[in-house]
Amino acid sequence: MAGWWESRRTRQTALVACFLLPSLAIFLLYRVIPLGWNLVLSFQSWSPMRPARWVGWENYEELLLYDDVFWQALANTLIWIAAAPVAIVLALGIALLVNSDLRGAGVYRTIVFLSYPLMTVAVGIIWRWMYDERGGLLNWALRSAGIIDRPLGFLGSFDLALPSVLLTDVWQVIGFYMIVLLTGLQSIPIHLYEAARVDGVPAWARFWRITLPMLRPSLFLCAVIGLLNSFTSFDLVYVMTNGGPGHATELLITYIYKLGFGQTRFDAAAAVTMVQFTLLLALTWLANRAAGGNAGAVERD
Amino acid sequence: MRRRRWSHAARHAALVAICTLMLLPFYWVLKTAVTDENIYVYPPRLLPRDPHPYNFVDVWYLIPFPRYLLNSALVSGLTVAGNVVLNAMAAYALTRPFPGRRWVLLLLLSCMLIPFQATIIPAYLITARMGLLNTYLGLALPMLSTIVCIFIYKSAFEAVPRSLIDAARIDGLSEWRIIARVLLPLSRPAIATNVILAFIWSWNSFMWPLIITRDADMQTLPLGLARFLSYMEDTTGALYAFVVMVLVPGIVVFLMAQSAFIRGLTAGATKG
Amino acid sequence: MSWLLSRWVVLPAAMAAIVLSWNLWVATHAGGVVEGRVVDAAGRAVPGAEVVLYGRSFVTNDERQRTRAGDGGIFRFTGNASHALQLQAEAPGLGRSERVTVRLLFRAQDTRLPTPLRLEGAPLRIGGAPS
Repeated sequence: MAGWWESRRTRQTALVACFLLPSLAIFLLYRVIPLGWNLVLSFQSWSPMRPARWVGWENYEELLLYDDVFWQALANTLIWIAAAPVAIVLALGIALLVNSDLRGAGVYRTIVFLSYPLMTVAVGIIWRWMYDERGGLLNWALRSAGIIDRPLGFLGSFDLALPSVLLTDVWQVIGFYMIVLLTGLQSIPIHLYEAARVDGVPAWARFWRITLPMLRPSLFLCAVIGLLNSFTSFDLVYVMTNGGPGHATELLITYIYKLGFGQTRFDAAAAVTMVQFTLLLALTWLANRAAGGNAGAVERD
Repeated sequence: MRRRRWSHAARHAALVAICTLMLLPFYWVLKTAVTDENIYVYPPRLLPRDPHPYNFVDVWYLIPFPRYLLNSALVSGLTVAGNVVLNAMAAYALTRPFPGRRWVLLLLLSCMLIPFQATIIPAYLITARMGLLNTYLGLALPMLSTIVCIFIYKSAFEAVPRSLIDAARIDGLSEWRIIARVLLPLSRPAIATNVILAFIWSWNSFMWPLIITRDADMQTLPLGLARFLSYMEDTTGALYAFVVMVLVPGIVVFLMAQSAFIRGLTAGATKG
Repeated sequence: MSWLLSRWVVLPAAMAAIVLSWNLWVATHAGGVVEGRVVDAAGRAVPGAEVVLYGRSFVTNDERQRTRAGDGGIFRFTGNASHALQLQAEAPGLGRSERVTVRLLFRAQDTRLPTPLRLEGAPLRIGGAPS
């Protein structure tokens, strides 16, 4: 027996197992099992008070056929995702401005990026104040400029609430897009540009023919970040409008929270979660296709 | 040459304008935090008049701010420690050959595709079954180890020359000592990245604490902020003083470790 | 020893030093003493005027203590535990003073009113804390 334990190979494997176990346990507990449980739960009728019962597609049917709030939340989530390309284009502009031999480029980069690592709850409160009817800077600026003659209740209006919250979100994540694109820009070999310049290729053509194609992986990353953003924007919506007015700013993720922890309809919440997760996977796959497949591919061994 | 100078000036002008737009909200909140302006005043003053620090004093005493701060610091500390240690262990294991290594890697990579927010309902139920609702461990547990950070460690470990490790092994150093004396000192940037990412993530985390804390005594800073907002609405400078007090630690840590933070984020992004 | 000069050591150390000295300052100046003077409308000291101290609760101000001004109209409270308080003086026949808000940097900070409480000598509006 001693010989078995003395074997290097066995000891090595035991060590590896011990080292991997804690992390794997956490991922199993908080990623894999929840996803499976979610799937099971979405086909059951269950709440903490009732025993579970299989109901097949009933939860989904109820969502898709009878739940107007679900459709509103889905539409808002899609708008949220559709805003990402706009933000990415803006970020690309800033990245191109910053990416040069400009003096103080580092300072500009830091300032643009500064809003990203901040606590989203605080960002929501900051922007509530910016949008405020009397004390807010935006209303003051618009009124002083004579564009509007009475204060706009940005967050209380059915038409303006979603764009307003979305603008805040863009303000927060645009720095991250910029950093990702900047990293991409800096990895483009400089000799490509020099060769093109020698050949007399004009600047705009250099951008279309060299910069954009070479940036593809970075753009794909930005797209994925934008997709995930529809999940992570919970904090912002919760603080700024809590989904209101009505359900004008309801996202799927806030709806999941409300269903699960507001109405204790865990089964319905699980069904919505599955819908959003499927949406996320499908859109990621599409983005990957659009970026020429395999862009940003995970490392292979 | 002259054209070049003009183009530089135009770029500076554009960037200054963009940066001003990005910084204006900070200014506006800071201004409100040091004055007594409130929602009943129009027009707002652009410059702070009679600035004073008393809103910050109010926040410290009127709200259990010290308690929130303690909770946030404990949870962040736990998360950072967990990430630095557990991720290093997992990453070291992944650099060794062992049966099933491919499967473990595949599992980790596919786990990265599952956003944590997509698992909140079962994650809450699991935490409740384990009896960890309303505890520091429960708050920190889901983030105690992060896949992105494991891969950051892994590539740092792989960059350490093989010959160095072999030499250490021939000298008779045990695995533990090789990790402590050779690998970790050479992967300091990876450690820094782990520390800052884990700190920022747990410091800012809102949804998970919102779901699993019950007592006011266990609330972290973001929850305290949201709760204060629901009491007071936007009526008082104290709310904005609170915002400033919550933001400052994050900003300081970010500015101090900006390069490590950005490296971590972009490395994480290229792998997910 | 170069690691001692790294920003990861210097900045936390500086912060710890600031926090420590601030706490020392607070510990030595938190006697809860509030001092001031009461004068009448003409600026003469009013011995024997009654002074009320209100302490701040979450959004309201509640009466905490009363005292009488002594010689030279000087009054002194001890044991104030609040960080935001209001003071108001009253003397028979001389009316009341305005309610003066005093905000402190920390609880029970020793403080002295820079301007005396001035009795207005006229019937005054009720309550109404000036902000």
